[in-house]
Amino acid sequence: MSSELLLSQLVNGLGNGLIYFVIAVGFTLVFGLMNFVNFAHGAFVVLGAYFAFELLEREVSFWAALVIAPLLVGAVAVVVERLLLRRLYRMAHTYQIVATIGLAIGIQEVCTLIWGPNQFTLPAPESLSTTIEIGATTYPLYRVFVVVLTATLALGLWLLLERTRFGAMLRAGSEDADMVSCLGINIYLLFSLTFGGAAFLAALAGVLSGPMRGLSPTSGDSFLALAVVVIVVGGIGSYVGALVAALMVAEVQSLAIVFAPAFGEVVIYALMAVVLLIKSDFIVGRLARA
Amino acid sequence: MNQSSIDRRMFLRSLGIAGAAVTAAPLLYACAKEDAGQNPGAGQSGAVDADALTLVSLYGTSGLQAELGQEGLDGLRLVPEAFGGTLLDRPVEIVAYDTQEAIDEAVRRVRESTEAGAKFFVGGLLSSTALAIGEEVNKSGGVFVTAAGADELTGSECQEALFRWSVATHGAIQETVLRMIESDSSRKRWYTITPDYVFGQALLDNAKQVFAERGIEHVGNSLHGLDATEFSGYINNAVAKKPDVLCILNFGAQSTTTIQQAVAFGVKNDMEILLAWSGGLSQFRALGPETLEGIYAGAQYWHTVDAPGNSEFVDMFREKYDKNPSYSHAAGYISGKLILDGVRAAGSADPAAVVQELEGMKYDGPTGEETIRAEDHQVIKDYYLMKGKTASDMEDDDDLMEILSSGQSVTAVDQTGCKLVPLGG
Repeated sequence: MSSELLLSQLVNGLGNGLIYFVIAVGFTLVFGLMNFVNFAHGAFVVLGAYFAFELLEREVSFWAALVIAPLLVGAVAVVVERLLLRRLYRMAHTYQIVATIGLAIGIQEVCTLIWGPNQFTLPAPESLSTTIEIGATTYPLYRVFVVVLTATLALGLWLLLERTRFGAMLRAGSEDADMVSCLGINIYLLFSLTFGGAAFLAALAGVLSGPMRGLSPTSGDSFLALAVVVIVVGGIGSYVGALVAALMVAEVQSLAIVFAPAFGEVVIYALMAVVLLIKSDFIVGRLARA
Repeated sequence: MNQSSIDRRMFLRSLGIAGAAVTAAPLLYACAKEDAGQNPGAGQSGAVDADALTLVSLYGTSGLQAELGQEGLDGLRLVPEAFGGTLLDRPVEIVAYDTQEAIDEAVRRVRESTEAGAKFFVGGLLSSTALAIGEEVNKSGGVFVTAAGADELTGSECQEALFRWSVATHGAIQETVLRMIESDSSRKRWYTITPDYVFGQALLDNAKQVFAERGIEHVGNSLHGLDATEFSGYINNAVAKKPDVLCILNFGAQSTTTIQQAVAFGVKNDMEILLAWSGGLSQFRALGPETLEGIYAGAQYWHTVDAPGNSEFVDMFREKYDKNPSYSHAAGYISGKLILDGVRAAGSADPAAVVQELEGMKYDGPTGEETIRAEDHQVIKDYYLMKGKTASDMEDDDDLMEILSSGQSVTAVDQTGCKLVPLGG
């Protein structure tokens, strides 16, 4: 394998990994803070891409769509959380799973009704529709932009969680929500903001993915599967674990395409199985909590 | 954050429940749609009417190939009016099922429809699905026309009930890969990207044969799964091998995404791109002139072909849908029309009589004069090699491609391996 190919695959893996992280971190935050299983998370990714698609059709710029679509999805998520999901917090996880799968199917069918069942891609903004040279490798500028943006976002999220009062409330809420509530913090508002924020991140990932891969109303399942793999590998509720695992998953996937192309899509599930066998807490989860 | 309330065991148990729910949900949804009379579409009744001449559509109109499936169904919907709504004093009806191109769902629909009295079937976008439908329809003694690609359909897996309108993978490779090699001797190094299922493997096998016969270096191949939507890794692999031609052997939405990503990676600057089996006009529209410019593509059908059978179809299509038809529209239309042509010629809806009439039939089809070869039920028709035009050369929005060549390449009968399994066999 040439060094150019290795470099381009590693850069590709980095880009994909950061997208996986943006998807998975919302899933794991909701899980960690709210003890809530949201199987509609993948559907929020797709909904973000469709909102952006609609905005672009209405001649809104990509940059505006990149902000507006996730905000809209976040707003939808907050409404759904307040009207439906809040009633399920004290119920068993099976109820949450059934409700959120129903929600995911509902979103999928609404997307199909409005935009049809066909696969689509979003056009990259004109200013980024070119390539740059990275060493001896040619790489799309748009993908470089995605790496920079998502890496910045990851850093910003870490700062938000670790260095702000809001982050402290979230972390405290994940330890003992009742105690936080007794301290006078509106825990339900915190839950709403977390759920809406997670949906915002999912939708942002959907918009960013739009120019990079084909999307359809049923794509939510594959995004959800990715998020599940990442949090199983990285440790449930762990921010750093999700980041490390997302990058690991994407790089393994990317290199598998070179060494064993036929297994490029299943290798991440094999990775998950291996991690489960050797108890990933001792690898990534512990690293995350360190 | 900690893992206070949910541990991995709980999470995996939840996943198991979710998996079961996700599996069950589409079935429940399909059943609900069927109960509501939505699934058996085409504006016809929700069930097979034994008194009517019913064409059962088995296209996948949701899922990855939904667009092509819907086009096939839209084309098929023109067939009743092409026959004035009745034939042999029986109303012509269409009952449509969304098979999602899943083998088990398609086979189930064949069995149900057969029990209800249906004998004539159209559809099957994926070769694997079409092979399963063909076998099942043959067992039940019906007739099935498909446009799926794998050579086996009219080769080692041929059935008396099964007819194939499209040029097989062998012909598609001959009319694209071989023509490109013959027309420019500098195209010496080829890289292929192939979907890992029957159709892709058949295209790859045929391409490899051409490479070997012509002394072409096949510098590499990437196999990908049926659900893949991200191809940049495969494209990186291809670029690293520095081929003269990147030959894309996947299909439908996957090939659209592959081309878009290849162009985004600047591949067009370094090598030529050939899409061996395109989805036709609708796919070209989705790609747009800027992406398409300079890209080579193989096509089963083109709306501007000057032939009486095509003019008739295009006029009818434009009147109903107010746009030009694409390949799958033509495939759906001609598949249904062939069956009814057979019924009319036989003067009977008996499948055995219809099969007998179809064998050897010559007719004016969407690509000109077309012939159904009796020995393997393969339609012999033109396949086109095209090249994307520059935007300034386009005369209208659909004038996206220039036809470079066309021809009828077909495997010799004695080399197909076809031994028709008798109806009911």
